[in-house]
Amino acid sequence: MQPSRPLPRRLARQSLVVLGIALAAGAASAQTATEAELARKLDQLAAELAAVKAQLAQIQKERAAAPVAAAAASSPAAPTAAAPPSTAVAVAAPAPAASSEPATVLSAYGEINYNRPTRASENTQADIRRFVLGYQHRFNEKTKVVTELEVEHAVSSSEDPGEVEVEQAYVERQFTPTWAARAGLFLIPAGLLNENHEPTAYYGVERNFVETAIIPSTWREGGLQIVGSFDNGLTAQFGVTTSFDLTKWDATSTEGRESPLGSIHQEMALAKARHLAVFGALNWRGVPGLLLGGSLFTGNATHAQAVVQSRVTLWDLHARWTPGRWDLSGLYSRGTISNTDALNAPLVGNTTLIPKSFDGWYLQGAYKVWSSEDYALSPFLRWEQFNTARSYADLGPGLTPDAAATERVITFGANLQITPQIVVKADYQRFRENKDLNRVDLGLGWSF
Amino acid sequence: MRCYHYCKSFALPIQIQGASEVSIRVSGQGVAGALALVLSSMLAACGGGGGDSASSSNLPTETTLSAQAQAQAQLGERIFSDVTLSASGRQSCASCHVEVNGHAPDNALSAQLGGALLDQQGSRNTPSINYLSFNTSFHFESDGTPTGGFFWDGRAASLQAQAREPFLQAKEMANASVADLIGRVSRAAYADEFKQLFGDDIFSRPDDAFDRLTLALQAYQREDTGFRNFTSKYDEFLRGNVALSDQEMRGLALFNNPTKGNCQACHPSAKSADGSFPLFTDFTYDNLGVPRNAELTQNDDASYYDLGLCARTDLPNRPDLCGAFKVPSLRNVAIRHAFFHNGRFKSLKDVVTFYVQRDTNPEKWYPLNADGSVHKFDDLPVEYHANVNTTEVPYNRQPGDAPALGDAEVDDVIAFLQTLTDGYRR
Repeated sequence: MQPSRPLPRRLARQSLVVLGIALAAGAASAQTATEAELARKLDQLAAELAAVKAQLAQIQKERAAAPVAAAAASSPAAPTAAAPPSTAVAVAAPAPAASSEPATVLSAYGEINYNRPTRASENTQADIRRFVLGYQHRFNEKTKVVTELEVEHAVSSSEDPGEVEVEQAYVERQFTPTWAARAGLFLIPAGLLNENHEPTAYYGVERNFVETAIIPSTWREGGLQIVGSFDNGLTAQFGVTTSFDLTKWDATSTEGRESPLGSIHQEMALAKARHLAVFGALNWRGVPGLLLGGSLFTGNATHAQAVVQSRVTLWDLHARWTPGRWDLSGLYSRGTISNTDALNAPLVGNTTLIPKSFDGWYLQGAYKVWSSEDYALSPFLRWEQFNTARSYADLGPGLTPDAAATERVITFGANLQITPQIVVKADYQRFRENKDLNRVDLGLGWSF
Repeated sequence: MRCYHYCKSFALPIQIQGASEVSIRVSGQGVAGALALVLSSMLAACGGGGGDSASSSNLPTETTLSAQAQAQAQLGERIFSDVTLSASGRQSCASCHVEVNGHAPDNALSAQLGGALLDQQGSRNTPSINYLSFNTSFHFESDGTPTGGFFWDGRAASLQAQAREPFLQAKEMANASVADLIGRVSRAAYADEFKQLFGDDIFSRPDDAFDRLTLALQAYQREDTGFRNFTSKYDEFLRGNVALSDQEMRGLALFNNPTKGNCQACHPSAKSADGSFPLFTDFTYDNLGVPRNAELTQNDDASYYDLGLCARTDLPNRPDLCGAFKVPSLRNVAIRHAFFHNGRFKSLKDVVTFYVQRDTNPEKWYPLNADGSVHKFDDLPVEYHANVNTTEVPYNRQPGDAPALGDAEVDDVIAFLQTLTDGYRR
C-alpha cells in the first residue's frame, strides 16, 4: 500500500486482501494443511479487519457526506467467522469493480541454510537453498492462476549447481462453495509438508527426512485435481496426474538410495505421460487444533518403454495437534514399486537397484516457550526413522541386494519467529546409522 | 535403429531449413502435412531413428531413407569392399573391417598388414567400426574428460574424416596421392554411379572427389544397420525376450558391481532414459598401462613409445594425456582376436585377468628388470607412469592383495561378454 494513494482506493485494496484471505481460508482451504496455520491466518485476518474498520470509521468521520455505493460484492465462498458477510460486503463496497477487477498478488519465500557436519567439518556449506517468487492472479472471484518459480542453490548455469524450476503453475476454478477444480502443475497433497513447504511452516532448518526421502517434497505433478471443502472440516482432494518415470532410474548413482521417488520424479519437464496416476487425500479439521489426514498416489511408471509395467504407489497417514502452546505431529508413509525383479535384472551388481518398498515415520513435538509481540520461540524435538530400500524383489542368490539399514535421526533445536513471515532456526541432527552426517544447522527463512 | 547422437545435433537445423523451403514452394495444400513430408525426407539422414525425445517430439519417428542418402550409402558399400582402391590391389576397407567379425579383423594380428606388397605392419590394432555412428567428435567435457573422436586417439572428427586416412597410409592402402586414388576410382565399376551422384566432372577435381568418396563411406556406415545391429542376446534380454543364464547373470552383476569388475564405469550396460540401448562405451579415454607388445615391429626400437592421445599434433602440451587411448565398445568383443590398442592380448581370459591382476600380480604381465624387480607399465616412459589409472576399481590394489575378481568370476564376466555378440538366435 502506498501512503499517497487516495484512501477509498486504498481501503478497497485492503478490502480485497481481506476478501481474498477469506476466500482462501474458506473456499480454498485445501491449501491450509494445518489447523495451526489456519488459526494463524484467521488471527491475521481479524487484525487486518480491525485496522480496516478503524480506517473506515475515520473516513466516515472525515467524509460524513460521502455516499457509499450500494453495489454489493457477491462472494460465493462461505465467509469465515473472522469476516462476517455484512462486514465483508460493506468493506468491499467502495470498489465498484471489485468483483471483476484483476487482483495480482506477489508471493515469495526463501531459505538460507548453513550446515556444519560435526565429524567432517570440511564439508561445511552455506547455501541459498531456495529462492522462490510466485504470483497469484485472480481473474474473477471464482477463478485464479497460481504460480511459483524457484531457484535452488543461487546460481543456475551449465557450470553451476543451481536449478531453476517451475514449482506450481495451475488454474483454479471455484464451482460451488464446496467444490473447486485445479488444472496444471500442482503440489500433490501428501503428508504435512508437501503443500506447505515454506520455511515458516515447519520446524528445523531442513525439511524432515521422511517427507523428502520417502515423500519427495517438493513433489508436483501435472494434471487435474478436484478439491472439496466441507463445513464439517473435511477437505477431499483427488485427481489424475502425470506419474513417475522408472525408465530413468540410474543404478550407478546413489540418488535413488537417497530418495527413490525423488530420483524418478518428472516435474513436468517433458514428462513421459503414456502412463498416468491417480491420487486422493482426505484431511479432517473438525475439532479445533486437530488435523487428521491421509493420502494415496498410485500409477504405472514405465510408459510402455520397459519390458514390464511397473506401478508406483505411495501412501501416508498423518496427524497434527496444537493444544495451547504445543504443536505435536506424526506421520507414516510407505511406498512400493511393482515388478522390480524384471526392471532390476539388467542392473544387477550396481550400487542402487530399484527397491520393492520404502517407508518412514516421525514424531515431532514443539512448545512455544516465549512470545512477545511478533516474536515467538519454539524449541522442538523430532524423532524419525526411514528406510529408502526396505525390501528388494528376489533376483536369486548372490544377486538380490540386501535391504538398506533403517536410518534413525533425532533433531532438536528451535524456531525463532521474528514476525509471522520471518523465522530464524537452529538445530542439531544426530544420525544413528551414518554418523558422519551428524550436523549443526542454522537457517533463515521468510515467506509472504 | 536409434540414432540419437547425430540426430540430436542436426534435428533443429533440418527442421528450420525444411520449414522455410515448404513456405516458399508449397501452395494450396496443408503446410503442416508438407512440412512433415519434407522433414521426413530430410531426417532420413538420421537413418530413421527418432530417439531424441527432447528435440524431435513432434517429428516423425519412422522415416525412410531419402533417395540421395540411399544412393550415397549404396555407393559407399561398393567402395567399402573395393580392393582396387589400394596400391596392392588386394586390400579394401572390408579386408580389415570384416562384417561377420563385427567389422573388425578376422585374425589375431596385433596390427594388420598393408602397403603395396601387403607386408607393412600397421602401428595399432584395428578397432571394430560398429556402433560408431553414435560417437561424437573429440572434445573435452566440462570436467575435463577427453571424449569422442575417431581412431584410438580420436584425431578424426567424423566417420568421413576417419575414412580418409587408410587410403593414403603407406602401411595400409598406400595410395601415393589423392589423385592416384581418384584415378583408381574413375576406373572402378561404379565410376558412372559416382559421376551420376556427384557430377560428370567430379574426377577432374580429385580433392572434391575424395571428399565425396569418404562422404559415401560415412553414409554407408550410418545408414546400414549392419553397423549397429543391436541383435545380441543381451539386447534380446533387455527387450524381455530371453533370460540370461545363471552364469551370464553373475557375470553381468560382476561387470556392473563398482567394487568388483566396475566395468560399467567406462562401458555402460544399462538402457538410457530415452530408451536407447547401451553402447558399452562412453567414448572416453583411459590409461591402462597395457604391457608393451613385442609383436609390433615399431617396438623394436626400445626408445619408441606409442603415447596415444598426447601424440596428436593438436595436443602437444598435454603430457597428462600420454598413454591414454579411447575406450572401445564391448559389443562383439567376444569375436575379436586381438585386444587393446597394441593388440597385446589374444584372449578375453587374458584381458579380464589383466584388468584385475595388473596390480596384484604385475609379474604376470610385465618383464623383470635386471635387479629382479617388475618393470611395470613398460610401454610408457617413466615420466608418464603417473598417468596410469591406479585409483579406480579394479586397479586400486597392491601386490599381495586379492584381485577384484577370482578366476571363476573372470569366467562369469566372460560368459556375460559373450552375450554381446550380434546375431543371436534363440
